[in-house]
Amino acid sequence: MKKFMKNKKQSLSLLIIVMLVLPFVLNIYWLDVLTFVLFYVVLAQGLNIVVGYTGLLDLGYAAFFAVGAYTTAILMTTFHWSFWLTLPVAFLFAVVAGVIVGAPTLRLRSDYLAIVTLGFGEIVRILAINLEITGSASGIYGIPRPTIGSYVLSTQKDFYYLILVVAILSIIIVYRLGNSRIGRAWVYIREDEDAAEAMGINRIRLKLLSYASGAVIGSFAGSVFAVKMTAIAPLSFSFQQSVMILLAVVLGGLGSIRGVVVGAALVIVLPEILRGVDDWRHLIFGVSLIVMMVFRPQGIWPAKHEADDEDDLEEDESKDKKQSVPV
Amino acid sequence: MLLIKIVGGINLKKSFMFIIGFMLICSLFLSGCSDEGEKSSGSEISIGVILPISGNNATDGQDMLNAMKMAVDKVNADGGVLGKKLILKVADDACDPQTATTAANKLVSQEVTAVVGGYCSGATLPASGVFENAKIPIIVAAANSSELPAQGYENLFLINGLVPDQAQTGADYFNEKGAKKIAIIHDNSAYAKDMADFAKKAVEANGGEVIAFEAINPEEKDFGSLMTKLKSLNPDGTYFTGYYAAAGLMVKQFKEKSVPGLFMVGDGSYSPDVIKIAGTEYASDLLVTATPTANFIPGAEDFVKDYKSKYDTDPGPFSALSYNSVNLLVDALSRANSTDKDALRKALKETKGFKGIGQEIEFNDTNSLNSSNFHVMKVVDGDFTLEK
Repeated sequence: MKKFMKNKKQSLSLLIIVMLVLPFVLNIYWLDVLTFVLFYVVLAQGLNIVVGYTGLLDLGYAAFFAVGAYTTAILMTTFHWSFWLTLPVAFLFAVVAGVIVGAPTLRLRSDYLAIVTLGFGEIVRILAINLEITGSASGIYGIPRPTIGSYVLSTQKDFYYLILVVAILSIIIVYRLGNSRIGRAWVYIREDEDAAEAMGINRIRLKLLSYASGAVIGSFAGSVFAVKMTAIAPLSFSFQQSVMILLAVVLGGLGSIRGVVVGAALVIVLPEILRGVDDWRHLIFGVSLIVMMVFRPQGIWPAKHEADDEDDLEEDESKDKKQSVPV
Repeated sequence: MLLIKIVGGINLKKSFMFIIGFMLICSLFLSGCSDEGEKSSGSEISIGVILPISGNNATDGQDMLNAMKMAVDKVNADGGVLGKKLILKVADDACDPQTATTAANKLVSQEVTAVVGGYCSGATLPASGVFENAKIPIIVAAANSSELPAQGYENLFLINGLVPDQAQTGADYFNEKGAKKIAIIHDNSAYAKDMADFAKKAVEANGGEVIAFEAINPEEKDFGSLMTKLKSLNPDGTYFTGYYAAAGLMVKQFKEKSVPGLFMVGDGSYSPDVIKIAGTEYASDLLVTATPTANFIPGAEDFVKDYKSKYDTDPGPFSALSYNSVNLLVDALSRANSTDKDALRKALKETKGFKGIGQEIEFNDTNSLNSSNFHVMKVVDGDFTLEK
């Protein structure tokens, strides 16, 4: 089992090395696709906290993506801030937005909660369409490039590395959160809210924290999205976007970090691969999603509850063998 | 995708993962390889096409693509340009900003010499940034938000009249007909909102009054409450600046509720589909501000005939412009006498009096048209006719 752990570390570092080298191998198109995959990895990890860990169905997650993108875009174009300074402000706004959507939904469960979050997502999008400061329907364009010292991030490769760093950061954060006391409390709330409260878990605070953490990660992706695209429009933050992010989470496996990464990759890469078949593209994509959900409803790579804590992996593995009863 | 394979390797129990991962890796490499094969060889000049081939605006996108293919076939039949054949590389932008940048990057990676296309302004805005970075000239055939030239990109050329010109044409027509109380409706898309804003200014400059300035959701099917509101305001004219799907339904409900006054739509709604959706009866007297289709352009009879015989349908609203965009590019290529991007851009910029179907192209400082080419069309007996 020691060897197993070592292998795991090796594969992880190998994976990171591959990700670092890839830009030198791929052409600009696949690099762009891969960049969007990483955006989705970040977004899906953020949503994973809310939907996967805490079990709160959120149909308006693109709103937090929008909050980050618009905060950065407005501060950089109208107020000429540096990109890096806009990040904390974007986080702050995201926390506020997370609490705004979280507070009224504390009493709600499942379907009702989904409707409220759906409404929130639409409110943010419609606000963006109608406000002057967000450039109304045409959005904001001419967003400056971020700089590190005197180096201006402007090429595809620069943004790939930027979002790669953000993706690794968010995976670490979500992983650490998931294995902390907070993360276990979230899972408890997901499994049985009443029992969790009876055991002394502060339901309100933890639910709000879940929304806020998810929102911050979403807005982080949004900020990077704004500088990468240099133009943002309300079209990018539609209900469709929320659904696609949720799809990445559900497809990969709720609450599973590895699964969500795979899910994000699938959601972006599959339609691109299908570009060759033109008209059939959306049909094939749709059918493959249905097939996936029918034959693998728990997601491609579901979370293993016992093995959530990787340090206990050794024990769990041996336990698994003895009692291979389905959970 | 390598991610799946490597991380997958640590857990042998999940052989399922291997299959999925393996399939994806294979397909990735396959598509990667096919990209390599598509790169233009020495005897061909590849031209990128960025258009909505899927989604709500696919009808117009397909019409534009048809016209481009026609132009290319014709050029190739006459021996090509610079002794080389033209080939089109099509990328679907689905009228979505994110898809559009990916599509644009795909074209850049296929090393196209130049790009034609661009239908939705919202998608063309970010895509034009990708082409500007790659220094690939793009001739935008349809998209005409005033924000496109405002970006100041030197590789971006627009051959459709701009939104302010169109809004002015509409406002002037209302003024001529003595319509003073105008209601303006848009669908909150970048283009429609832009045009609605300019229409408002133009109407007010003509001494008219904007009595309603409303946004609709283009996904909706029922505009009943809006029409009831309009009826109570008693407008002399109503101007909808959005796209045809919503416009067709709106025209129908406008007539059903018998709202008074003229009803005018912008060129986003200039499509035979608007008459189909509304029904011939309801669509009669509908006004459209647009650059006229080939049917109404003197000297375009051959184009219309060829198009009809080839595709068994009438040319769409932007077919002539798309046809022109390819021919303009060919003209610039032969003037530049090379496929070098800088030379090509220079040649495009220096275009003087290029005669396309229904327009003479010359660029101003912002690489957009020097003159407006908008007209007012009217639906009579289920068909568009030139009104002014």
